Amino acid sequence: MEAGALEFSILAPLGFVAIGAVLALVGEIWLARGRAHVSPWLVVICSLALALALFTAATTFAAGITAVFDPAHPMLRVDPYASFVFVLLAAVTLLSIWLSMSYLPALRIDFGEYYGLVMLSLVGMFVAVAAIDTIAFWIGLELMSLPLHALAGFDRRRLRSNESGLKLMLIGTFGSAILLYGIALLYGATGATSFFGVREGFEPDDALALSGLALVLTGMGIKIGAVPFHQWVPDVLEGAPTSVSAFVAGAVPIAGVAALVRFVVLALPGLDADLRVVVGTLAGLTMMVGSLLSIVQTNIKRLLAWSSVAQVGFALIAVAAGTPEALAALLFALCAQAATLLGAYGLIAALARAGREHERIEDYAGAARRRPGVAALLTLFALSLAAVPGTAGFMARFQLLRAAIDAELVLLVLVGAVSSLVTLYAQLRLPAAMYMRESGEDVPGEVDTFAGLALAACAVGVLWLGLLPDYGTTSALDAARVAAEGLGR
Amino acid sequence: MDAGSLFVIVLLPVAAGILLACTGRRLSARVWQGVALAATTATFACSLLLWSRYDLVNGGLQLFEHRVWIGAAGLDLLVGIDGISLVLVLLTTFLVPIALLATWTEVRRGGRGYVLALLALESGLLGAFVSLNLFAFYVCLELVLVPTWFLIGSCGGPRRAIAALKLFLLGSLGSVSLLIALLVVYRLNFEQSGGLPTLDWVLAPGTAAAGRVALSDTVVPLAGADAWWRTQPFVFALLAFGFGIKASLFPLHGWLPDAQVEAPTAGAIVLSGALVKLGGYGLLRFGLPLVPDAAFAYAPALLGLAVVGILYGALLALAQSDLRRLIAYLSVAQLGAVLVGLFALNPQGLVGAVVSMVSHGLCVAALLALVGFLVQRRQTAALVELGGIARPMPVFASLFVAVGLACAGTPMLSGFVGELLILLGAFQSAPWLATAAAVGAVIVAAAMAWAVGRALLGPVDNPDNRALIDLDWRERAAVLALLVPVVWIGVYPDPVLRRVEPSVVRTLRRIEARVVTVADAAERVDGGDARRAQGVER
Repeated sequence: MEAGALEFSILAPLGFVAIGAVLALVGEIWLARGRAHVSPWLVVICSLALALALFTAATTFAAGITAVFDPAHPMLRVDPYASFVFVLLAAVTLLSIWLSMSYLPALRIDFGEYYGLVMLSLVGMFVAVAAIDTIAFWIGLELMSLPLHALAGFDRRRLRSNESGLKLMLIGTFGSAILLYGIALLYGATGATSFFGVREGFEPDDALALSGLALVLTGMGIKIGAVPFHQWVPDVLEGAPTSVSAFVAGAVPIAGVAALVRFVVLALPGLDADLRVVVGTLAGLTMMVGSLLSIVQTNIKRLLAWSSVAQVGFALIAVAAGTPEALAALLFALCAQAATLLGAYGLIAALARAGREHERIEDYAGAARRRPGVAALLTLFALSLAAVPGTAGFMARFQLLRAAIDAELVLLVLVGAVSSLVTLYAQLRLPAAMYMRESGEDVPGEVDTFAGLALAACAVGVLWLGLLPDYGTTSALDAARVAAEGLGR
Repeated sequence: MDAGSLFVIVLLPVAAGILLACTGRRLSARVWQGVALAATTATFACSLLLWSRYDLVNGGLQLFEHRVWIGAAGLDLLVGIDGISLVLVLLTTFLVPIALLATWTEVRRGGRGYVLALLALESGLLGAFVSLNLFAFYVCLELVLVPTWFLIGSCGGPRRAIAALKLFLLGSLGSVSLLIALLVVYRLNFEQSGGLPTLDWVLAPGTAAAGRVALSDTVVPLAGADAWWRTQPFVFALLAFGFGIKASLFPLHGWLPDAQVEAPTAGAIVLSGALVKLGGYGLLRFGLPLVPDAAFAYAPALLGLAVVGILYGALLALAQSDLRRLIAYLSVAQLGAVLVGLFALNPQGLVGAVVSMVSHGLCVAALLALVGFLVQRRQTAALVELGGIARPMPVFASLFVAVGLACAGTPMLSGFVGELLILLGAFQSAPWLATAAAVGAVIVAAAMAWAVGRALLGPVDNPDNRALIDLDWRERAAVLALLVPVVWIGVYPDPVLRRVEPSVVRTLRRIEARVVTVADAAERVDGGDARRAQGVER
């Protein structure tokens, strides 16, 4: 690629999603005239945009292209790492939109803005993941978060949804402010906003730079929900409409962790021992708190939320280890987590009928007899969260723990092992209720075609990543490795 | 497709299960049972081919098959068997169809999922017994917990939920401990092979690249020679703990009695017949050879625990008032004996342990099947309710006595061969403990005799017992089939011993040889060149 030339083509995934977002927002107004239901049209528009984004990102990844945008003032860098995460995020969004299609009418909140907001949030995620400049980084994260506030509060008539939206907004804004403050301090200390500039100017003894770094890490900790900045996760994921929970649980950790990793690797090369201890401690705390608190949950959405907190802890192990193998394991783990959580939340969303959701564990008691398919799917996702072999969750956890052993983080491995057991105990209650208890109440609700397709995709993903991660047209493991190496240093 | 291929044998049951799950929704549960019976019988027939193909002269690992699974990580599907896994594979493939046959008319909860779980369980067990890649072994070891959990929790008795949870959690605790050991060994192998790690126990033909070190040649440093977490004591602790739970080593046996009592009969048969053998097998195949120095150093302590297990199980068996619980504690005692043989770490003890595993599998399966028949007729196995059953059910009584004798270690039955060898082995390494173990064996016999007396003999006091119907041909066939190998091993153990002994001796010699090598390596490893030590060994 010619140096200095503007390469808009590499931003094609971003562009398609942005155009899709605008079309969805505008189209909603235009289509709404004289039509009762506009969502199918919007879903078609968004699916097309996402499919194009997915395709272009996949081609860019396959071609191994690394390009900076724009070369004179580098803000974004599309490299295999970014392309890999683009593909993942686009796929998650596509599936979550398919899951929303029947869910929104079922909850009587079938408003067209939903789709535009989801797409806008995705644009922000893309920007954050590709950013190599702290300004673009922050803008991306903001663009990701703002639509999520509206989405979490989308079910305006329900108090819980309102609370969820408000909480996400307050804490999210708080996190953004802290992050921005940290970026400003880093700029003050290093005189640069670009990641590389920060790297060059960063003095480990400089109190200003260190405070900036601490604030950035805190801000990111809030965004990805790492302990002790995790409190919003369960409340938001429980209160939000379930299709939004699926999107938030599936996509936000991917985008947040991927962006954080890029910042850590590019701006702070070779984490020094102190920082590793900090990140390692965060990882250990997050795993333990997430898994321990999932024990007492009786609401499935909350149970999944706490487990997703624990998963973020596992992901942070890889950040603490910092090796390319660890980052490849991290990318694989993000795939696994996305497929699992999207599937689990999606299934609950797909079963919602007439304004009512089945989100308590008791609601599924005895479900195995009447709904064997539902029970089997939920069991699969629960076992994947509990990292039982044969599922994506296990393969991911195996690689993460392996990376931790390679980096000699033995204590983290022990904590991770204990936390795995605790998660298993917490997650087993769901299949146990379905297979081992009786109840009079039925789980109603048929899964419609699109939601069924999305759920099948998640289930296949969980099994494929768990059983045959090295097979297929592109080996998931190889792809993660290429992506991790493409991150550059 | 070769019917004697290990992959075929492992996958046949689960393939039948998947076929049933996909196509059989309209079929009745009876048809599902029939298909499962056919598939598991076919699996048994295929595994008989192994018996004939097994090369006695070679005596080591053989019949390798190899598929790349996760190539870059060195995680292959390498399968192969030696005499030890051969008999355990045959035991498993034999028990499952018998279990299905024995429980053909049993009324239970859980419906068709039960059939699926049994099939999946068999595949998982077979996978674990033939895997020569530690990772694949681990996956199978953990995977068998899922169908077992389901069998107990969904189809089991009144306290099934807690029993199932206990099994899954304790089992996973063991698995997690093994996983950490696996990761440490994996790391060591990675360093010693110069970046081409493998968890294959032996290098499969065709995968031996330059510098590759088989897992069995991986050197785990001695205590003090390296960071604490990668030395033999730590790895041994992890392995002993993990496999100890699986093998129900005292005091880690807590899950077994509950699981065995609450499980439906077929589940209990496979669980205590084959699944609990995984722990001992894993120790013998992977655990002890990986950490030879620690194995020899700490084996006496574990031998002591195993003896405590025998006495504890035997005494508790004496105190039970329910036949099923009695059998459960009998199992604890007999598995303790298996571990005594293992930790004796001499040929007699190890051969005895393997023979005992098989014998215990057969005997306990027969006992559980018989008690299952009784429960089906009387809805209880409480000894208070029974008494004098020999009168209405003479065939049942005679079969029960025969199996009881085998359990108690009567000469000319399989229990005797294993027990004798175990005690012989134990006397060589720890005479006092062996004496205690022998006392335990006597108590086991007493418990058995006591149970027979209370349940079968005497007058028929309880009017409910008067009209009991004796076993029908299907039930007789199931128990008699189990008794055939029991008598065969008891009368003429030579065919089994000829297969087991060379493999056991090989394994043991290997452990002993490596004790020296590892000590050598510790001196040499300062240069970081562990491979030189490997060369010396060869």
